[in-house]
Amino acid sequence: MSSRIRENVKHLFECFCEIAPPTENKDAWIIQQYPEKYQDEEVLKAVPKFAYPYKFENLVIQHYSFVLTDLESKWTYGFCRHDPKSETAIVVLSYLPWHHSFYKFLDITAVLMHSTRTEDLSEFLSTLYNARIAEPGRKMMVTVNQGQNVFEVDVPKPFQLPSIPKNRNLTEYYNAVESQNMMIIFASMLYERRIIFTSNRLMRLSACVQSANDIIYPMIWQHIFIPLLPLSLVDYLLAPMPFLIGVPEEVMKKVSRSEIGDVVILDADKNTVETPFDDLNNLPQDVITTLRKQLRNKSSQLGDGVSRAFLQALVQLIGGYRDALKFQPGQRVTFDEDRFIETRPVTVQPFLKEMLRLQIFQQFIEERLTMLNTGRGFSDEFEFELERYSVKSGSKLKQQYKEWTTTMRKEGTAFFKSVKDKANPAMKSAVKTVKDGGKGMKSAYKGLRSKLKEGHSSSSGVYSGTKPRSAPSSPTTKRKIISDLMMPVNTYKKDASLAIKNANLQRSYSPLSPSDSQHDVVLDTPRSNSPIEIPRIDLMNEMQDLLKLKLESPPVDRSLKPVRSLENFANCSPDRNSPDRWTKVPPLRPSLPPPLSRFTGDLLVDLTPPELPPRRQSSQDDLLCNSKSLIVGSGQNENGDPVFFLANQNVVDVVKLTPPQQYSSTSKRKANKKDEINLIRLDSTSDLDDFDPLKSSSSTTTTSNSTPGDGQMPPMSVLNPLYSSSYENHQVRRNFTSFTRQDQDLLQDYGLTFNFGENVATNTTTANYSKSNWTKFD
Amino acid sequence: MARDYDHLFKLLIIGDSGVGKSSLLLRFSDNTFTGSYITTIGVDFKIKTVNIDGQKVKLQIWDTAGQERFRTITSTYYRGTHGVIIVYDVTNGDTFANVKRWLHEIDQNCEVVNRVLVGNKNDTPDRKVVLTEDAQRFADTMNIQLFETSAKDNINVEEMFMAITRLVLRSKLEMKERQNEHKDIVNLKDKKRSSNKNKTKCC
Repeated sequence: MSSRIRENVKHLFECFCEIAPPTENKDAWIIQQYPEKYQDEEVLKAVPKFAYPYKFENLVIQHYSFVLTDLESKWTYGFCRHDPKSETAIVVLSYLPWHHSFYKFLDITAVLMHSTRTEDLSEFLSTLYNARIAEPGRKMMVTVNQGQNVFEVDVPKPFQLPSIPKNRNLTEYYNAVESQNMMIIFASMLYERRIIFTSNRLMRLSACVQSANDIIYPMIWQHIFIPLLPLSLVDYLLAPMPFLIGVPEEVMKKVSRSEIGDVVILDADKNTVETPFDDLNNLPQDVITTLRKQLRNKSSQLGDGVSRAFLQALVQLIGGYRDALKFQPGQRVTFDEDRFIETRPVTVQPFLKEMLRLQIFQQFIEERLTMLNTGRGFSDEFEFELERYSVKSGSKLKQQYKEWTTTMRKEGTAFFKSVKDKANPAMKSAVKTVKDGGKGMKSAYKGLRSKLKEGHSSSSGVYSGTKPRSAPSSPTTKRKIISDLMMPVNTYKKDASLAIKNANLQRSYSPLSPSDSQHDVVLDTPRSNSPIEIPRIDLMNEMQDLLKLKLESPPVDRSLKPVRSLENFANCSPDRNSPDRWTKVPPLRPSLPPPLSRFTGDLLVDLTPPELPPRRQSSQDDLLCNSKSLIVGSGQNENGDPVFFLANQNVVDVVKLTPPQQYSSTSKRKANKKDEINLIRLDSTSDLDDFDPLKSSSSTTTTSNSTPGDGQMPPMSVLNPLYSSSYENHQVRRNFTSFTRQDQDLLQDYGLTFNFGENVATNTTTANYSKSNWTKFD
Repeated sequence: MARDYDHLFKLLIIGDSGVGKSSLLLRFSDNTFTGSYITTIGVDFKIKTVNIDGQKVKLQIWDTAGQERFRTITSTYYRGTHGVIIVYDVTNGDTFANVKRWLHEIDQNCEVVNRVLVGNKNDTPDRKVVLTEDAQRFADTMNIQLFETSAKDNINVEEMFMAITRLVLRSKLEMKERQNEHKDIVNLKDKKRSSNKNKTKCC
């Protein structure tokens, strides 16, 4: 997979080292390390080189990071701190890119190293080392110095775009480098050049390199990546392959420029870029114009404005990949390169041809395909922006879509025909699949149940196969001092159901093993301003919130149905630059005692009523949620054929992967009836909550601040924009009355128009949208 | 110019991890004791200077970590190199399959690059699963030279490296020749060309 951040990270950090500086005849060396058992010789040999990358004067406290790459090309982050008052440097190695937290970690460690009580340091290190990593959005806290200080780690949520000023790296990059130069670097990365950053400040250097990689999200730099290059490795600048290397100014002086050949050099101190290429101008100009305009708008730079501007540029450039995906019944989803080019306007075609030659793009496609084919969803920031872009910039895109529509129609004729012929058999087999307990659904369901029974000791191993992908993010921390917490905060929802939910979450590590320790202290302080609030919510609080929520009716459903349908987000974001546009998170909830035993499937049953109140059925908007099914997942049946999981409010169906139009309304209804007997009833039991189908059934009616799919077994997937929208296509045919704006938009996105032309183009304010979505629950 | 070589070539060695790329490099290179950084920065290179027809050729052979994660290795990866050494493990069919796919890709996107195919670990006949005939047939269709080597027993390693070096040298000289021809005809064009670098470059 393309992610270079390790998954299933067990420890917050791998190793802490104290390093003595080099002397006349001795290289820098490790004085002490924790834990002693960390024995990766190669890494331990390398760390001192990075802690003292060259002979520098230690005048101020400096933090910086470096990156080591292992044989599988996965990254290990090194965070380093130099202090003029100390003769040594300290370094912590971690698989987690949480710069902010680790710099704080180092600060605290530095204090503890001078503590009168010698045990302080080792206690601190061992507590953290042995602590289970909290779930995304949560905090880990450890008191230090006998309660005088608290160290907190905010575990970043997936899909979070780096924002200013929270993300130190991006803030540094943005401050040091003007947007024009950021754009040149962005373009150079899209051409996979050999790129050097230089600065005399190590913090700035490493931050800029890290950020440059963050900014090409959803792609990830696949080549040589060395945010800090020690002098001893300067020869590696001769590498003929693409690279992104941070070279301290002092080291740069030793480089013979003529030897390294064609490189792009960003001097982050002088704010200059030298490049022999014209990459920026070779990008499609409208994309650049938009990007430039957005970056010029200073008012929107705070928060994730900068990240989002680049993300939107990428959406414009490569968002069309969706149109090039090919579905064929019984086969894996594939990517059609020719189609990727052909479906786009002639003006961008030359660039896209180049794009196909990029490793970063190929890996991106690979990753999306893997997700699709393994039934995992990918409702991430990129897909979200893609939806939003399609809807919002309708006018500009309209032309494009029209072109696509024509093509689609042309092909569609044949498509429709074959669909009709096949409709019934396909449906039958789908039903059969369900009845037989096809691998996909039933066993998944079973799995979930057994997980539930196993209780809190289960689940991480089982789902560790998920290959998450998260938006580049780094943690930010509220400086809140909460004393007398000795344990890392993990939540007390140790029951499997929630653990399972988490398992499928897309994120860059999987600290899933729910702690089975009974003494974990709970303190749940979700941050309220991140774009997508993934509710790692404990159920008790959940219930409390439900009431509150109903009264306040915020645009967030923090219920147990963490469905995230992209269109909902698209529609409920009143301000795209506002970090909290999706979430109004309930106020800080008091922590409750952890009655572990209660958090089992049974409890979930109790929770159901508030979530699916009967009243809702009669609500006017319910047309939508009653009649409309959604694809809520996908997987494979026992024959290995791809199947969808469809859900509406009452039923979950399993449908074989066939083109959308393939199934007729009658057969669908039949299926519904049959399934009602065999399948999980969405409104009745606890199972619902584990099953994403149900979550997604509400996805059209609620905006959840959560990520879908946490509760799913790998073969089932998170709401998938692709699938869901293609499914909705035939919802249209089947039941026109339920046809909503969102459907239209989606259809439009996919190039299918069914004579609702003008509606689509009119962009009602998004706020209205979300409102209508929300009222259903009142 | 005070350099100690007539030509500097940058070669790339690709193949799954475990096929013995590092061993091949170690076996061949001059600087065996410089240590390896592939496990710490994900990239490594070795240097060797060889004599070919009286010309001193300095070789840098580069290796990066985790290539097996790429279904395709795209042309940007080869862009700056003069030649590619593609290695599989004769005792492991999967590594051969990967290599085949990559070679097809190179062929499609990147015709100019010089390359050789190497079946390493050719030292334990009973464990060999990629038959010479199969590999040879494939090499023939791709129009590429095949070497079966053993880094362990030092079989065919030198020959292989020399072969790729010759290939690169030959195409460099050919290119120069072509440029010279052009020089006689169109001066302007040549200027552009030589500024583009007078090396054999892929893509």
